[in-house]
Amino acid sequence: MFSQKIGKNIKQLMGDSSGVMFLIGLVLLVMFILMAVFAPYIAPYSPIKPSGAQLLPPQSGHIMGTDNLGYDVFSRVIYGSRMAFSIAAIATVIAAAVGIPTGLIVGYVGGKLDSIVTMIMDSVYTFPGLILAIAIAAMLGQGLINISLSIAVVYIPTYYRVIRSQVVTIKSELYVEGAKAIGAKPKTILSKYVLPNVLPSTIVVLSMNIADAIMTEAGLSFLGLGIAPPTPDWGYDLSKGQQFILQNDWWLVVFPGLAIILIVLGFSMFSEGLNEYLNPNIGEKR
Amino acid sequence: MKLKAYILTRILLSIPMILIILTIVFFVLRVLPGNPILAMLGPKAPPEVVHAMEHQMGLDKPIIIQYLVYLSHIAVGNFGTSTYTSLPVLQELLQKFPATFELTLYSMVVAVLIGIFLGTYAAYNFGKTTDVFARVYSIFVYSFPVFWFGIMLQLVFGVWLHWLPVSGRSAPFMIPEHIYTGIYTIDALLNGNFEVFIDAVKHLILPAVTLGIVISSIFVRMVRSNVLLSLSSQYVTAARARGTTEKKVLFKHALKNAMPPILTIMGLQFALLLAGAILTETTFSWPGIGNYLITRISYRDFPAIQGAIVFFAFFVAVISILVDIINAWIDPRIRY
Repeated sequence: MFSQKIGKNIKQLMGDSSGVMFLIGLVLLVMFILMAVFAPYIAPYSPIKPSGAQLLPPQSGHIMGTDNLGYDVFSRVIYGSRMAFSIAAIATVIAAAVGIPTGLIVGYVGGKLDSIVTMIMDSVYTFPGLILAIAIAAMLGQGLINISLSIAVVYIPTYYRVIRSQVVTIKSELYVEGAKAIGAKPKTILSKYVLPNVLPSTIVVLSMNIADAIMTEAGLSFLGLGIAPPTPDWGYDLSKGQQFILQNDWWLVVFPGLAIILIVLGFSMFSEGLNEYLNPNIGEKR
Repeated sequence: MKLKAYILTRILLSIPMILIILTIVFFVLRVLPGNPILAMLGPKAPPEVVHAMEHQMGLDKPIIIQYLVYLSHIAVGNFGTSTYTSLPVLQELLQKFPATFELTLYSMVVAVLIGIFLGTYAAYNFGKTTDVFARVYSIFVYSFPVFWFGIMLQLVFGVWLHWLPVSGRSAPFMIPEHIYTGIYTIDALLNGNFEVFIDAVKHLILPAVTLGIVISSIFVRMVRSNVLLSLSSQYVTAARARGTTEKKVLFKHALKNAMPPILTIMGLQFALLLAGAILTETTFSWPGIGNYLITRISYRDFPAIQGAIVFFAFFVAVISILVDIINAWIDPRIRY
């Protein structure tokens, strides 16, 4: 539905700067998705096997050099996109799967339940997300699912707040009142009348959220709480590379960092453009 | 409402918030899989030793009792004893706190300065080069991982140019002789020791600039959009009609009226600043609470981990109360 709408108005989209931003973001995202899917075909070497001498500077054959174990940095950067996408995707899906229904139901029911749940969600929301994720990750230990879970918990309130505040407005709209008057069940009202109206803004939050989740994941693995080595992971590679900057081995830190920046940039430009397109009246969100 | 009454209400309102965070932290650290005793003693510890340890730490009691004991201890400032150093956790945290405070304080100064100047000028030159630069700046910098940016600055200013030290808070033997506040830049000045002051500033520049610039991306956006809003208001038009100079219009009328929402957002960003501080402290081996938390996680020092997180919760709560009070003081409408 959205792709159709966007396709129809591509001309209008190119008209202002947010359209340009949206397209740049889209191109970056497509690039990273292709990179993750076709990693084995793009990467010249295995990311977890030595492929040459140790700590080689960028040169032909190793365009981003090699690390202290002789792993090819370029291959690790390519494969690292898989980790970033999988963790961000799992975390975002879990957060949305918990946050959206909770927001829908609590917002619709209202009353005491609403004030209690909202207070809990707000407390988590105001607490620094990374610190909470660190605590959970430290308890659960390394691993794909564990890290995704720690990040997911942090973002549940984001979905809850967006959905709840919209449900509260929508439930007093005439068409919802009408549905109630003809005897529609709460379940029908929520799924048929309320949900379709709150989804567009959720899509924007979802896409902004993936950028944040990738950043949080990189932070956790930089702190040594991410995926167990030698699985390629940008944050982990950065923390390992930092040990060698005093001897000027800059390629170990520059390239994984650029990968994080470009993917986060892709998601934020994409979602920003999408936001101005889908919710033109909401304006600046962050 | 009088300001005093507002302050009191605001403090009372934050108690449930803190209680909720304390509860979540408790359940995350106690109920999630991962036995702290086994983690400390190793998986091969004899069962009787494990039981003795559990009894000593009160872990054999029902979870509700443990929870109440935990809350009552925190209420009287008992954060437990570190299993790594055997020192009271609160004492360790208070000793590390000035370093974190100093880093966040100066980072905030950097972020606020960049945010206010770049944001205001961007709004004033809406659509022109400055504005485009400000927008591109905030989008780009927002996507910088703070630790990566820190490493880059270390590389350029530490390794290539040799201008600034890349880690720590001070050179050996350059600690202020009398500690009053624990904030080295202030203590050195109070001692009148200029050499120590310069050393402290040199160590502070890279971490504070790293964190400050990363946080400033949000400030630039917020200042820009709020000043834009107030520039289009009637009091600005009226001020211009009276012949007020443009500089005065911009800073006295537009910026000043845009301040309360900006302050609120800056207060909210404090959480982000703290999260960034943990990463910055780790990147620069800055001996603050973030660094403490990460080190103690690797030692599986559970009382210390719990204490550090609870400490952060209180810190966030205190700052958000302060921001609200400042706001209420600037803008009396908030109090009513």
